[in-house]
Amino acid sequence: MSVNNEKEVLLDVKHLEVTFSNSKKHVFKAVKDANFQIYKGETFALVGESGSGKTTIARAIIRLNDTSDGEILFRGKKINGKLSKEDKKWVQRNIQMIFQDPAASLNERATIDYCISEGLYNFHLYTDEADRQKKVDLALDSVGLLPEHKSRYPHEFSGGQRQRVGIARAMIMEPEFIIADEPISALDVSIRAQVLNLMNKFKEERGLTYMFIAHDLSVVRYFADRIAVIHNGRIVEVAPSNELFHFPIHPYTRSLLQAVPMPDPEIEKAKELKPYDQEKENKADETGSLQEIKPGHFIFMAENEREEYEAIVKEMEKTAK
Amino acid sequence: MSELNKDDLFTIDLSDDSESEHIAAPQYSYWRSVFRKFFSSKLAIFMMILSGIVILLAIFQPMISGYDPNVTPNINRPEMKYIRPNATYWFGTDDVGNSLFDAVWKGTATSLFVSFMATAITTVLGVAVGMWWGFSKRVDTVMIEVYNIVSNIPATLIAMILVYAIGGGVWQIIFALSVTSWVSTAYFIRVQVMIIRDREYNLASRCLGTPTWKIITHNILPYLISVIMTSVSRDVPSFISYEVFLSFIGVGLGQQYASLGRMIQQYSPYMTSTPYLFWIPVAISALISVSLYIVGQTLADASDPRTHMI
Repeated sequence: MSVNNEKEVLLDVKHLEVTFSNSKKHVFKAVKDANFQIYKGETFALVGESGSGKTTIARAIIRLNDTSDGEILFRGKKINGKLSKEDKKWVQRNIQMIFQDPAASLNERATIDYCISEGLYNFHLYTDEADRQKKVDLALDSVGLLPEHKSRYPHEFSGGQRQRVGIARAMIMEPEFIIADEPISALDVSIRAQVLNLMNKFKEERGLTYMFIAHDLSVVRYFADRIAVIHNGRIVEVAPSNELFHFPIHPYTRSLLQAVPMPDPEIEKAKELKPYDQEKENKADETGSLQEIKPGHFIFMAENEREEYEAIVKEMEKTAK
Repeated sequence: MSELNKDDLFTIDLSDDSESEHIAAPQYSYWRSVFRKFFSSKLAIFMMILSGIVILLAIFQPMISGYDPNVTPNINRPEMKYIRPNATYWFGTDDVGNSLFDAVWKGTATSLFVSFMATAITTVLGVAVGMWWGFSKRVDTVMIEVYNIVSNIPATLIAMILVYAIGGGVWQIIFALSVTSWVSTAYFIRVQVMIIRDREYNLASRCLGTPTWKIITHNILPYLISVIMTSVSRDVPSFISYEVFLSFIGVGLGQQYASLGRMIQQYSPYMTSTPYLFWIPVAISALISVSLYIVGQTLADASDPRTHMI
């Protein structure tokens, strides 16, 4: 990590493995040997196709899924596995999550007032009823909703409004780190920017750190500082956002970037799609590890593949010049 | 081409952003919507009035008449026996010369009491255990075996053996009826809990540090109101019929109690000679079952918010 030595590591994921099993025989590894670090104040994106393990990693960090191996360190403190009650509360106070589907992630039988105050009630983050009301009003105002909405129910809101309620509910806890699990994929295109701008506003105001999960690469390019590409439960490439879009090295990343539609019918027609096939590409599966190929740019590879990748890097740099 | 008028052009909207956030629809209130939906059904209102009258009669008529099946002042007066329904004796008199009108309402009171108590025990115990069962894996491994055993033994058999063993009093009957029935209610609730337990809004609550008991009371139970209402509206009539059935086959309440089931059993030989003795208790029993079932089902439908959309 030569480039980022001076930055403070907020979340450190080391050799994380998450398995699901229905009996002793059927064990499915959803996440295999995941390694990445998230620095304080940055937006770290996790990109991959559905079923690749993005959400599983997020849920492992926030303790919704059990981990079977590896460590998750938050501010240097282990937060996976068995924890004391105080430590669990500490994690809940400092790490919050914004969910994918705003229609499913709000309690339909509770008023907005209760939805937003839920965390306040659990941690007694208010001195009296008036203070709680004030905090809820402020939270609603910060996401552009009105105090009159407190007595309403989630089904009365539009998708964008609901997602803003979800954001307000997480923000009222004043967390340091927020995991956003595809927060805009269930939203109408016209209100995606609204939610993303809101998230950026909070980032600037409060110095938040985001882990942003997405499968929409155009959004990630706009929003993220660094990107990790995940495929079949394994992180295959980690690089700063611009670097990844200009020099995608791993074949999977390349197919993923290629799949983004171009707003030009001529280019789009001429494009030859190369789907990624792990068998055909003969890329490292079990034996490899994440290695730095350029400063800050990591690729998952086996030792014998290093030369091949270095050749690709040289080629790319040549054409870029 | 005609010249564009200035009024035809779009102008920038300078109004406050917050105006667009305003919700114009009237305030939604869950219980108000439930009652609005319930009272929109004329049949349900009629059945509610009917069952209300039956319940009030069952509570107050025996207080006025002071009917006791063991007190038989007219037993030696043949002219008082088997009087057909008339203006004095609305439902006629029975084989010992007592007014059937008094006897029927006393019997209805007993039957309703047994049914309501058994339903209350079944529902409270079933919902409480079912919630726990749905959440805890350890409870699940034990309870699923209990359910397998209980559901494979006929409930009638258990009730019959219990009544033989502990006697035919009102509380004994309530115990015999509800001792195993709560298991199937609990299983029903367990399945419902498992369906909604892992929905995203519950995960969100977990992330916000909400303890399990609060998730149960705030996130799960409100969703199950209509399901529980359905189960209650099914249980009340079925316990009434069950009590009637047990008494009819002779293992229900003893001779000293008036109950609809015991009356039906006692008067079934009179079906051809004095049919009113048999048919009036049967009719009342059917009336209670049907009216309570329809009221319960309508209430269960009304308590499902999916029906609240106008």
